[in-house]
Amino acid sequence: MTEVINQNIPSEAGETQELNKFQKALQAFCGWFGYGIYGRNSSKKRKKIFFDIITYIILLAGAFTMVYPLWWMFAASFATNDMVLLETVWWPSSTVSEVFSAFYNYSESFTVLDRMWNVELSLLRSILNTLIYSLVPVTIGVIVSAAAAFAFAKLDFKGKNFVFFYCLAAIMVPFPSIMIAQYCFYDSLNWVDGPLAMIIPGCFGAILTAFFIRQYLYGLPTAIIEAAKIDGAGYWRIFWTFIIPLAKPAIMAQFILSFMGSWNNFLAPQLFVRANEWKPLTIAVSEISSSGKINPQPITMAASVIAIVPILVLFAIFQKTIIGSIMMTGSKE
Amino acid sequence: MEKESVTVVSDAAVGEADVQTAPPKKRINKAKLQENLWGWAFVALLLIGTTVFVYISFIMSVMLSFSDYDNMSRGTTFWEALGTINRDGFFANYKIMFEEDIMGSGGQQAAVWGTLLTTVIYLIGIPIGMVLSLFFSVLMTRDIKFSGGFRVIYYIPTVSSTVSIALMWANLFGGGGLVENVFGISFIEGATAGWQRAAVLILTVWKGLGGTIVLLVAGLNGVNESHVEAADIDGANAWQIFWRIKMPQIYPTIFYVIVTSVIGGMQIYAEPALIFGDWGSTEAGKNVQVTPFVGYIYGTYNADGDRAYASALGIVLAIIIFALTLIQFALDSKKEK
Repeated sequence: MTEVINQNIPSEAGETQELNKFQKALQAFCGWFGYGIYGRNSSKKRKKIFFDIITYIILLAGAFTMVYPLWWMFAASFATNDMVLLETVWWPSSTVSEVFSAFYNYSESFTVLDRMWNVELSLLRSILNTLIYSLVPVTIGVIVSAAAAFAFAKLDFKGKNFVFFYCLAAIMVPFPSIMIAQYCFYDSLNWVDGPLAMIIPGCFGAILTAFFIRQYLYGLPTAIIEAAKIDGAGYWRIFWTFIIPLAKPAIMAQFILSFMGSWNNFLAPQLFVRANEWKPLTIAVSEISSSGKINPQPITMAASVIAIVPILVLFAIFQKTIIGSIMMTGSKE
Repeated sequence: MEKESVTVVSDAAVGEADVQTAPPKKRINKAKLQENLWGWAFVALLLIGTTVFVYISFIMSVMLSFSDYDNMSRGTTFWEALGTINRDGFFANYKIMFEEDIMGSGGQQAAVWGTLLTTVIYLIGIPIGMVLSLFFSVLMTRDIKFSGGFRVIYYIPTVSSTVSIALMWANLFGGGGLVENVFGISFIEGATAGWQRAAVLILTVWKGLGGTIVLLVAGLNGVNESHVEAADIDGANAWQIFWRIKMPQIYPTIFYVIVTSVIGGMQIYAEPALIFGDWGSTEAGKNVQVTPFVGYIYGTYNADGDRAYASALGIVLAIIIFALTLIQFALDSKKEK
């Protein structure tokens, strides 16, 4: 037995003539699971089952780490006070439902914000604002980007490459380095007292959105466009009746991604929205928490849950599209 | 090879050109003109948007950084301020970044370089996240059930709102919180800067893992199956197959992830700001060791109203990000050689 092993590993042959009991046991153990060169009674099937079990254990541990903090946030939103919140592990030791109604923290987060902002129904208002900021510019922006993508992918016009690289180079300019100038610019247009600073720039589309739709359109056959042209359809009609339906998967994916980006946007509204009644949900939640920690933290957690639930529901519904579109963005470099 | 075909074609092209001088040219031109017009029409909005909201904004930012426009200069409007030059000299706003403050109140230099260092330290999360997501994505591409389900679960933190997540983190890792009870380490209140930064690092790694995993799984699924089989038949073990066969093929994905996360990581703002408070909002908030560079930009603007200086900081950030991206592409091209 040892001789055979030594033949297999000639480098170690010199120093370990006799393997001690522990090493032998280890080899047999590893071999049984199909690992290493020693296992003569190993089997591929056993090896696979063994590693599958390990894989599941690790992946489950990882999944737990991913989900547990969110569960904690949900549980903590029912805690009576800060002390209870901090000691919460699975479920708070005393919940508000024992004192008040179950959703006391949630209703309280509404009234707290009303008092802070002097706006009636402020949290609902901020949800509505977030919806406006994410739906209007994203819808218009994605269509504008799709139009540009159509031109980049399927039309042949003078200066196309220049325009494309001119737009693409814009992604090199990071938002924080232009935000102050943008703020002053919007301020001089009186946009920051209303919602316009959050809406208008987004309506002009985004080059990255256009880029990914363009990549998708490249893969589609040109024949259909040629056929439409021969039938006398104008470019506008081709765009609306052929390109939009054909590129729907890419457009939907980009829409959902931009929507989630706008929903979670924090720095831009913090800078560009001055009026309390126009602040979006992210700002509302951060102001309920506020760095001074004036309000009890369970209320903050309740507000956080309110901010996170719609996006998680959206993700649950569209997870296939979302994951698919992320994969698409990665593989198309 | 290419030259050959060009010479062959050029003869034909000359012939074609002769033909095209004939009447049909006009009809072609009309269609061509229409295509040109429509092409420009379709890209017009994007082009205007990019020009106004990126390039002109950037130029305004550069001009602003040379001026001394702040909250005090109420008399001058923004447009008037754009043309002006700082009374202490053209590069005055850039100079203070390298000078110790005369007033002795902390000093701009310390703040600029301190926050920059903090931002770079937060970038450590990228390699950690990369290794972890490689590990998880390799496990997920094994032939097991529910791997798609795991991918979805791991992606949940990525889609979640940063604000909610950061506030939750502040409570979870905060003084007397769950993490302190379980691990006995205080991360935020009364902790050293190292642990405070670690709290942000854990947050960014945890939040970013899902996105990278999804990309890497896509990359690993795209690995040429026949190469893997061939290596397997030749007796390569799983480790060798991974490093020699799969790794080179998913390298573009890894490169893409690293480039985008460095660009994004240099702009980190919300997480530290929500956990530790804004720069300059409180005295304790003026903590160089946890505030990232963007937090400093926003804080300088928010607390002092110094728009010119904040713009100058923004330009510095743009230059740094541009340089970092260039370096990465240079390293990439070197590797391909």
